[in-house]
Formats: sequence, structure tokens, C-alpha cells
Amino acid sequence: MMPKAIACFENVSRRFGDLVAVNDANLELFQGDVTAILGENGAGKSTLMKLLYGVYPPSNGRILIDGEPSAITGPADAMSNGVGMVFQNFSLFPALTVRENLLLAWPKTPFWASERNKGTSEVLANLTRLAPHINPHSKVANLSVGEQQLVELCKVLNISARIVILDEPTSVLTPAEARHLHGFIRQIAGEGVSVVFITHKLVDVEACADKIAIMRQGKIVDVSIRGQRSMSEIVTLMMGSDVKRTMSPPALPKKPVERLFLNKICADAPGMSLKNISLSVASGEVVGLAGVAGNGQALLAEVIAGIHPVTSGDVVLDGQNLVRRNQMETLATPLGYIPEQPRENAVVESMTLAQNLSLRTLASGGIDVNSDVQALLTRFHVNPPEKDRQASTLSGGNLQKLVSAREFGSPRAAILACYPTMGLDLSAIQTIYLEMFAQAEAGAAVLWISEDLDDLIAGAHRIAIIREGQVVAVKINDGSLTRDKLGALMTGMNLDELVA
Amino acid sequence: MSADLLTLLGAWSIATLRSATPLIFTTLGETFTQRTGIINLGVEGEMLVGACVGFAVGVATGNPWLGLLAGALAGAALSCLHTALVLGANANQIGSGLAVWMIALGTTSYFGRVLVGNQVTPLPDLGSPLTDGLPFLSVFFGQMTMSVPLAVAAVVFAAWWLANTRSGIQWQAVGDSARISSENGIRPGIVRFKAILLGGLLSGFGGAILSVDYTQTWAQDMTKGRGLISVGLVIVARWKPALVLPICIMFGLAEVAVLRAQTAGWTISPHLMATAPYLVVLLILIVSHAMARRDADMPADLRSVFA
Amino acid sequence: MMQVNRDSILVVSATILAFFLLMVGFFMLLGKPPFEMIGMLLTYALGDGYSISQTLAKTTPILLCALAAAVPGRLGLISVGAEGQLYAGAITGTAVVLAAPGLPAALMLPAMLTSAALGGAFYGYVPGILRARLHINETITTLLLNYVTVLWVNALVFGPWKDPASQGWPATISFPQAAILPALPASRIHLGLLIGIALAIALHFFFTRGASAQKIRILAGNRKVGEMFGLNFGTWVIMLMAMGGAIAGIAGIAEVSAIQGRLQPTISIGYGLTGFLVSWLSRHQPLIILPVAFLVGGLVAASDALQLFAKVPAASAIILQGLLFAVALAVPGFIKSMRPGYER
Repeated sequence: MMPKAIACFENVSRRFGDLVAVNDANLELFQGDVTAILGENGAGKSTLMKLLYGVYPPSNGRILIDGEPSAITGPADAMSNGVGMVFQNFSLFPALTVRENLLLAWPKTPFWASERNKGTSEVLANLTRLAPHINPHSKVANLSVGEQQLVELCKVLNISARIVILDEPTSVLTPAEARHLHGFIRQIAGEGVSVVFITHKLVDVEACADKIAIMRQGKIVDVSIRGQRSMSEIVTLMMGSDVKRTMSPPALPKKPVERLFLNKICADAPGMSLKNISLSVASGEVVGLAGVAGNGQALLAEVIAGIHPVTSGDVVLDGQNLVRRNQMETLATPLGYIPEQPRENAVVESMTLAQNLSLRTLASGGIDVNSDVQALLTRFHVNPPEKDRQASTLSGGNLQKLVSAREFGSPRAAILACYPTMGLDLSAIQTIYLEMFAQAEAGAAVLWISEDLDDLIAGAHRIAIIREGQVVAVKINDGSLTRDKLGALMTGMNLDELVA
Repeated sequence: MSADLLTLLGAWSIATLRSATPLIFTTLGETFTQRTGIINLGVEGEMLVGACVGFAVGVATGNPWLGLLAGALAGAALSCLHTALVLGANANQIGSGLAVWMIALGTTSYFGRVLVGNQVTPLPDLGSPLTDGLPFLSVFFGQMTMSVPLAVAAVVFAAWWLANTRSGIQWQAVGDSARISSENGIRPGIVRFKAILLGGLLSGFGGAILSVDYTQTWAQDMTKGRGLISVGLVIVARWKPALVLPICIMFGLAEVAVLRAQTAGWTISPHLMATAPYLVVLLILIVSHAMARRDADMPADLRSVFA
Repeated sequence: MMQVNRDSILVVSATILAFFLLMVGFFMLLGKPPFEMIGMLLTYALGDGYSISQTLAKTTPILLCALAAAVPGRLGLISVGAEGQLYAGAITGTAVVLAAPGLPAALMLPAMLTSAALGGAFYGYVPGILRARLHINETITTLLLNYVTVLWVNALVFGPWKDPASQGWPATISFPQAAILPALPASRIHLGLLIGIALAIALHFFFTRGASAQKIRILAGNRKVGEMFGLNFGTWVIMLMAMGGAIAGIAGIAEVSAIQGRLQPTISIGYGLTGFLVSWLSRHQPLIILPVAFLVGGLVAASDALQLFAKVPAASAIILQGLLFAVALAVPGFIKSMRPGYER
């Protein structure tokens, strides 16, 4: 007899304005199963699970729990119904301690929550079992990403969840940490929990999924049992067509000429400081900068782009200084610079697309927008390509394309790109990489910050590793680099330790 | 130490504490509000309303305690306007605070007219046969009313409550991020509503202490920016309830020094002397900003309001 | 674009309607016939030449203070310092008159106005630099500084600047004729109004055309992007704060010179805050500030008259302004939440 599903989606849809994020989805979750939900960015995976968790109600259809229509109207309800979710960007409070974070998500927390109250000791039980090395009194902001994820898992275990939803849990982990997580997922599934694993990485699916649901453009296009389909079939289903990621970085010039120099950069920001970062990029060279998120990449990018002042050191491009010494200094960056999170860091939402493409002109005292904006919108597939539309109305992916259009649209002496393909679909990713490599081909020095090790290995000439605000290694990408090697450098453990 | 000196010391200490007391309540209230990520410039208005209503009820009933209670409730009632605008209509927090202030300024100067010149029964002092005749203590307790120990107790309780109770941690969490709070099953809207209400209650109480206990008079716009000062002091106290006490006492000391300097026959214009409290707050704001690592202790959700 | 216009018409009409209802409620609470009172408000604001002259006299400082708030407002700053800057301008402007009372008008007026503008500008510069360098919130500093200049004026007119001939009355000597801003005969409409209108038009062009306009828009929209392309937020904060201060400073000396004829303790009846309200209602747009300042000026002038003739309390002007502010804050959000598909 078929076991009964713990949770069941029946023709569930969810719309946000004109956007259909989830379209007529049907899915069943079973006890002890690990269900992987696989799909590209923006396929609707997270939204589908947020419906179960009660973050939003479905626009159509219904969700059953234990055969009854779900009464979950919010995360609080979800937690008391035994549904736990670990969000992609975590739901931890960085300013609070580990213990306080655990207390906040624990239904049994008594009014008097001080440690002197014996009733609260139980909240730390899972933490001591799972991660005895984490001090419950340290602030979450001071934990590594991997440690933060363990705290998140403890939160979910503390509510004795029957359904555990993990949203892209491996995107912030090094390969070794990810393997650790896979093992842990198998373990809790073995204890009878139904685990939902949202991911876009096939490695995750291979490692621990029992059932694979593939989403594309809001629809669940396929559900299969482990082993039923080949990996290439799965990729095809996920992408919609048989596209291969091709990466063809330009050949390195015979005699590389150093062009962009980072010289002993030191800088301070709340919670992060850079120590003596030196690196040089030659004309035509693509240097990747790999690191676990939160190790100083964002600060380094802002220093190189002249936004955040340095305490010492300098950045020189073709003999020109690029850094600010203090907050009152003024400096326009000559770099083609793509910051992370375009909405927050790279566009003026209250201005039109044309104006956003012409910000360099406008900021230097020009009055009219550039003449080639329409061509740029088309070339970078910004949708809709209406130059007088306000930037705030664009989706995140299209904003990313808009910024790429501005920064890659004309020849630059150097490129600084932070996660330039974040949130894009496959064809857009191809465009971005092509444009970036074309800049290198034309002689630009390219510094490319990413956490996608596969892409870095496929596309960079050299890869530098940043950890805790320092560049700890610079490796020539001569074919000998592997995900595991880079991962080991990123976490600072040696390879043997990790494999063991 | 000579008895005279002790008496003087006692007089200064108690004067400082009494001058600081209204501010302690208001600053504490605003600290709570800001800890949940909401700034309320309307505390100036809530203080005024508290002072006005508190004084009126004190005069009418002859019972200062009823006056204080009424003042606190009036402040809380007015704070609901801020809640409605900020949480209900998603209005700009600073704008909303100013609107609350304007309405309170207008209404209290209208309804307060009849109160001018009235007498209120003060709170009894805490002098007792035990302390009479003792140096220092006789002056200290002879001029102290219950409002002072109450303020100290409120600070101690607030600091304990925020750090050690489930709801206290929840309030901190909401200030850190409303979005993450709701992902953790906390309802940030409700927490913020409660925090604004408590802020209003404490501000109204502080205002009532100002009129009923400290000055024992009512005058139009009598708070003279004390509510706004308390918003500044919250920042100086780095959003920590425990620091509210020393910071407010420091401020009270400055105010008392000005008063004493005047009575001591200094020839400086009294108007110039009266600028001291504002300049002192500005000065300590500047010093604390210059010294503290920028915004390090600020509740994260407040940053979008301040920036 | 059509959508935007329809939205703003809806917001404006709903705001006016809600304010009207609140006014009716307010007068009923005072025990006055509401519609008669509102009729009287309109009459006393705009009914005849004299009323209009009174209204314009109130409009002038409100207009200037509104522009003073709008200039930093364009950068997203919330400066509520016009009141203090107005008093600062009154002090520095008066200082010129007291130092050289014999100057001819052709020299006196420009010197007095420039000095007032500089005084106001300095008083905007201080919170500006505190914001730019130390990240101290400008709203709090400007509010605190307001109290300080009012006291300074008191200290001066009770002390060194007091006219010995004025007996107990704290005030400076009466300004010589050369230091009185020219005014229309038999009215209180003076040069200040002209300055205000000219400034509003000039600021309109400054903020919509030309190089600075785009720079300010970029910085207001996204500070980081501005910094990336070579714009310095701090510099602009200081500049616009000082510019706003200068305008409020002119409002101060205009009141002293044209309306009061000498410096005395009360120059402003909260014009700074009223101006802030006007600027906020107009979304910091100079050309919209012009009519709104006129309407609110009418409200203030008419409340004065109502106080005299209908025994309506003096405080009603500020209560009504507060209600108007609250309504203006509440309505847009309320309309938005009424819309289908709205997500909290």
C-alpha cells in the first residue's frame, strides 16, 4: 500500500502582480523521504515552499497536510505544525547571540528566558549534539556561514519538525561542508523526517535525493524517483532545452602586461577588515576571486571601486589611482564595475532605464542621456527594452542585465564584476560571460568575484582565494585546480582533513 | 568632611536626580520604541500631553498619583496616532512624529490655558525621622519623592526585561530585522505597536512627573524640547536601557549646574545659560559619534530610517 | 505617466476631503458651527484685498521656510531647522543694521540680506557637517538647534542689543528707514515675497534642469551609485543644508525688517515648522510649494482673524496644521492598501 503523504500540493498557483511564480503545481511529500526541488534561478522553487511554510497564501489551489487542508497562515503556525524552513539567506539575527536566536524560534521558551531558568537548558540540546564547537554566547554575526547554517538546523530540530525545508543550503558552503550537510540530511531523513531540498546543483541531487522534482518557469515539469532518469535528462528538463554551458575565456596574451595593481590594501568597515591585500591583473587576463560569502569580497570590491575609503595601500590602473583615502574625497571609478545586488548597489530606481545607462555622463555634469541606450537594451536582452521605463519596475534579473549593459557596453580598461550572473537564466548568463571575455580580449584587466567554483575553474586564468579579509593564495588555473582544492583553501583546512 | 559641604552635596545630588527623572522615563520609553526599529519624534508631544493631562487631573482630584497615571495614559493614547500613521498607513516615521508633536503642541496650549497659575498637590517627600538631622541624607531624602526611586527601578527592570525575557529578546529581534522576525514566527507589527504604546506611556508619565512632581506648574510648551533631547540621548546611550540612567543623570547635572550658576549670581544672561541643555546634548552626541564605532549598536532596521 | 497623474489627483483630493472632515469635527468639538467657521476661514484668508494682503504677509516666511526645507529635502534629508535658521538670519542681519545704521538703502539692504543669508547658512552648515562627517541624524540636530537660536535672540534683546529708550520692552532700536524692506503701500506685502517667488522659480530650474539636478537625483536615489561615479554625498549634504539655511535666514531678516521693524524676542510663530509641512505636502517641489504656501499662509492668517472675531483659540492654527500633516501622511498609504493585489 502507498504510504500516505504528509503534505500534498493540489494545483497550487501563486501570482505576484503580473508574474506567475508558481503555476499549477502538484507534489506530494512523504515521511523519511528527501525530495529535491531542482531548477534554475527564478523557477519558483522557493516560492512553492514558502507557500507551504505560510509566508504567502496560494493564489489558487490548496495544500493538504496529513490529508487535511493546511491551516498554516504564517511561519508561527508552520512551526507549531511541525514544518521548519531554513531560508537561503538564513533567518538569523546577526546582532543576537546563538542562544537568543535559538530561543526566538523555540515554541517552548518560557517568559523568564535567562540561563538561570533551568527550563531553558533544553534549547541548547541539539546544538551541543550537532555542533559542540559553537559557543552559544557568541553573536551570530561572528560565526562563519557554515556555523550559521548549523544554528539554523538546530532551530528546525528544536521544533521537532516533521517536514524540514532547506532553501539552497549548499550555495554558501564549501564542497566539504556541503558533503557534511548531505550526510546530515540522510541522517534526519532516516529518523523519519520528510526533507525538502531546494537546489540548482546536480551534485546535491546525486548526493542525497530520493525523489527529484524539476521546476521550470513556475511549473513542476517532472517528478522522478532516484535513478529513474539520467543526469543529462535532468539537465535538459531543468533548462528546457539541451543547452550546454560553454565557457571560452580568451587566450592569455603571450607577454602579459600588468595593468591593474592592488597594493597592500587595508580597510575597515563594521564587522570586516581587509589586511594587506595585494594582487595584480594583466591586460587581457581574467582573475577569479573565490571565497565563502562574507569573507571581505564585498568590502574589497567597494574599495577598488573607490566607494569605501582605504586606511592604507592603493589600487592603480594604468598609473591612475583608484582609491579614496577618506569619506570626503571625490573619485569617479574608471572601472567597469558590477556590484553585487544591483537593486541596492548599482541602479537609481527612481530614474529611467536610459538615465541609468547614462549615469556616468549625468554624474559628470552632462544633461542628456547617451544616444546608444536603445541598442544596449536590445544587446543585453533587458526586458522590457523600453528606455523610458522606470528602473524600479524591472525584476532583479533584468536589473542585473541593465547594469551589465552599462558596464560592459563600451570598452573598459578594467572590469570588476561581483557575481555578475546572479539571478539570471542560462541564455543571459551566456551573454554576460561572452561580453566579459570580450572585454578581456580587447585588453581589459578583469577581476571576477564569484562563489561558483565550476564557473571560475572553467573561465579564469588565475584564481585568488580570499579568507577573513586576506588573499590567502593565488593559483594559476592550469587544469590542476579542483573544487575540493579551492574549497580547502577557502576554509583554511587542508585537503586530507576535509576528505576524511 | 564638613557638614555644610555634605549638605551642599546632598542638595546637588537630589536636584540632579529630580531634574533627570522626567527624562529618564521618556528616554527609556523611546529606547524601547527604537529597539524595535521605530523612531518616534512624537515623544515631545506625548510628554506635553502627559504633562498637561497629568497636571489637570492632579489639580482636579488633588491626588498627584492619579495625575501621573492619567498623564501616562494620555501619552499612550496619543502614541496610537503614531502607530496608526507608521504601521497603519506606512507613513514616514520622522514625518509622523512631527505631526504628533504639532497636534499635541496645539491641543495642550489650548486646553492648558485654564491650568496656568493652578496649584497641584505635590508627591510627599521621603524624609523621615530616620534621616532627619543626618548630614547629606536629610537633605537628600527630604527633597526626594517616590518618582526618583521609581525611575531607577524602571531602568533596572527594563534592562533586565530586555535581556532576560522571551518578549524582551523578541523586541530586540524585531529591531534587528522585521523580515527575519516574521520568518521566525514573530509578528513584528504587533511588537512594534506595543513598543510605541509603551514609549508613549513612559513619555506621558515622564511629562506628568515634570509638571506634577518636578516643576509643579503648567506652562505652554513646558517640555521645551525635552522629548527631542531624549531622542538624542537614546543614541548617546547606544540603545541600552542600562545606560539611560547615567546619561540622563549627566544631563540633569548640567541642568542643575546652570540653575545653580544663575542663583550664585553669575552675570551671564539667563537666556544664554538656558541654551546649555541643548548644547550639552549636541556635544555628547558629537563625542559619542566620534568615539563609537559607527552605528555599531544601532538596531539594524533603524538604519533605513536614519540614513 | 497617466497612471502617476491619476494617482496624484486621487491622493490630493482624498487628502483635502479628509482634512475638510477633520476640520468639521474639530470645530464641532470646540462647539462652533463648523460650516460657518470654515466659511469664515475662507473669507478671512481670501475674502477681500485686506485679507489677501494679510495672507500674503504670512505666506512670505512660510514660503521661504518651505524652500529652506525643500532644498535639503531633495537629497532625502529631513531638516526641520528652518525655525532656528530664521532666527540666526535675523541676528546676523540685525547685526549689520546695528553696526552701521547710517548706510544708505542701496548698500544697507544687500548687506543686511547677505549677512542674514550667511547667518542662516552657517546654521544649516553645522548640522550638515555633523551629518556628513559623523553621521549624526540631521533631524535631531536641527530640532535641538532651533531652541538655541531663539534663546540667543532673547539674550541679545534683553542684553547688549536692548534699546535703552524702550524701557522694559526687550527689543533693539527701530530699524532706520534704509533698513526696511520695500513694501507695497498700505500693506504688509514686502520684497521678501518677491524674493521667495524668484527663489522658488530659480530652484525649480536648479532641481529639474541642468547638471546639478541630475547629480542630486542620483545621490538621492542611490547614494552608493553616486559615490561610484564621483559624486560625494557628504559635500552635497553640506552644500544643500547651507543653501536651505541661507533661504531661511532671509526669511528671518525679512520678518524683522518689514513686519516688526526691529529685532524682538518673538519673530516667528512657528514658521519653520509650518514651512517644513508645506515642503512635505509639496513633495519638495518648488513650483508646488508656491500655491501650497499661499493656502497654508491663508490658513494661518485666517486663524488669527478667527481668534479675534470668533473667539477660536489661538492654538487652532497649529492644531489644524498638525491634522493636515497627519492626513497628508496617512492618505497615500491608505489608498495604496485599498488597491487590489496589495501585499503587506
